[in-house]
Amino acid sequence: MDKTKGAVKFIFWLSVSVGLFIYSYGTYTSGQMTSWYYYKAKTDGYAVHSTYFKKATKENPMMLQIGKFDKIEGLQAVEVKKGDRLPKNTDGIIEKKVIKEEKQAKLEDGMIKVMVPWEIKDAKGFKFKDTFKHKGIETNPWSGAWNVMMVLLIGLALGLTAEGFTDIMGLKLDKIVHH
Amino acid sequence: MFDFIIAGIEMPWMLLVLTGATVGMVGGFIGVGGGYMVTPALIVFGFPGYMASGIDMTHIAGKSVVATVRHRQLGNIDWVLGLAMVGGTMFGVEQGVRLLNWTKELGLSGIVLLTTSVIVMIGLFVYTQLETQAANKIAKKMEKSGEKVGREIITSKLPVFFQRISLYPIVRCRQARVVISMWVIVIVGAITGVLAGFLGVGGGFVRVPSMIYIVGASTHIAVGTDLLEIVVSGGYGALRHSMMGNVDFLAVLFMIVGAMFGAQFGSIATAYVRGPAIRYILSYSLILATVGAFLRLAYMLTGSKYAFLSFFAVVFTLGEMFFLCFFIMSLVYFALRYQKGKSVPDWIPSLVVKK
Repeated sequence: MDKTKGAVKFIFWLSVSVGLFIYSYGTYTSGQMTSWYYYKAKTDGYAVHSTYFKKATKENPMMLQIGKFDKIEGLQAVEVKKGDRLPKNTDGIIEKKVIKEEKQAKLEDGMIKVMVPWEIKDAKGFKFKDTFKHKGIETNPWSGAWNVMMVLLIGLALGLTAEGFTDIMGLKLDKIVHH
Repeated sequence: MFDFIIAGIEMPWMLLVLTGATVGMVGGFIGVGGGYMVTPALIVFGFPGYMASGIDMTHIAGKSVVATVRHRQLGNIDWVLGLAMVGGTMFGVEQGVRLLNWTKELGLSGIVLLTTSVIVMIGLFVYTQLETQAANKIAKKMEKSGEKVGREIITSKLPVFFQRISLYPIVRCRQARVVISMWVIVIVGAITGVLAGFLGVGGGFVRVPSMIYIVGASTHIAVGTDLLEIVVSGGYGALRHSMMGNVDFLAVLFMIVGAMFGAQFGSIATAYVRGPAIRYILSYSLILATVGAFLRLAYMLTGSKYAFLSFFAVVFTLGEMFFLCFFIMSLVYFALRYQKGKSVPDWIPSLVVKK
């Protein structure tokens, strides 16, 4: 009887876990999650998709076409002001002050010339790659609540799946006598 | 290779599953979130510092749910103690974050943070080691003389002192069998919360010893109850990080999947050991993390000149997780041999339980 209950518990919670995983994976890879997550511009600058120019160097810079695009596709940039909604497929903003500094990127012939798309920086004594990704973007506060709700739900579903599994296996886990 | 589009890096997803599994095992066994191990590991994998902290905190919230479900089944959770402490912890975390911002304004945060980590962890390591060794000696003596050894042996007299404080309201924690002033629990939560907020970690490595040596809970209950608390405080931390955009959800998901396996093993493993075994692993995790933090501190103080210090810090941080997992698995292996009456090393009988 215990094993039957365990099997029902296992199958039910495994289905919930797999369902949540597939849903999260699907929304992430389709770009839907990023469009919820990346919300509006936190600063004045140019909305870009930084993966397209990550291989740019000082010797071989990449040029971004500036325009009014609904979706960033390839080497494109859209001028945005603080508070503007971002075009689809945006993953970062090249700030105006970065352009003015002309160290990493600069304006040239009406286009953005990217020379240094990433730098090695230090955090807590460890080195990491600092890129334009995620820079200057204000996140949708509701996505925070969504993240936490999903994480707790997935944790609960996985925990109960495992509990069902040990019940099926007949692993008897009695309450510990502490005193 | 998997493209984590929000974090902006490409890396093998299996590495995250493996990290989740190892930290899940250690966390499920000693009742900590493991932030002091995971954040540096994620930075080493290439995640930006702010993303590493956000992913770590969010994964800790999910992983703690997995471990809490199992510890509830084992009867390791005192709900009164856990919920009373949550309020103090939340208050403390907020003050800790403000303290951190203040030190940031002074331009000292990195060095102050690492120095504080090193001092706190060394202090806890020394006290936990000395107390646990004394408790283990008693267990060994009892074992040799044929006396029945209980699940828990604590030699510290500190809990008696704190339990005598008669400030109302007095609460009864039934599962932990502790009667204590609510203020002691709240203040312990607040102080550990300040450290957690200041150091940017969940704070389990401070809270578990505090619940044992100040409140007087048994080690198993401290572990289970702390994980319950981490669900709440980690959930709050995850919310804050997510709202700031520091979380790549899929990276979190891969880590939780790994943590499911690790946390199960770690939580179930507590059923095979006595309190001192958990405290030993806790103290070793503290000293290993201290060595890692000390190397990073040395690297920063020398103006990032000596790359080998940073390299060894990475080796220590990652090596620590595998060492602790190996230690936990060895304990379970020997506990099973001991229960079947097979030969085990001399140091095992006082640390494991005979059913």
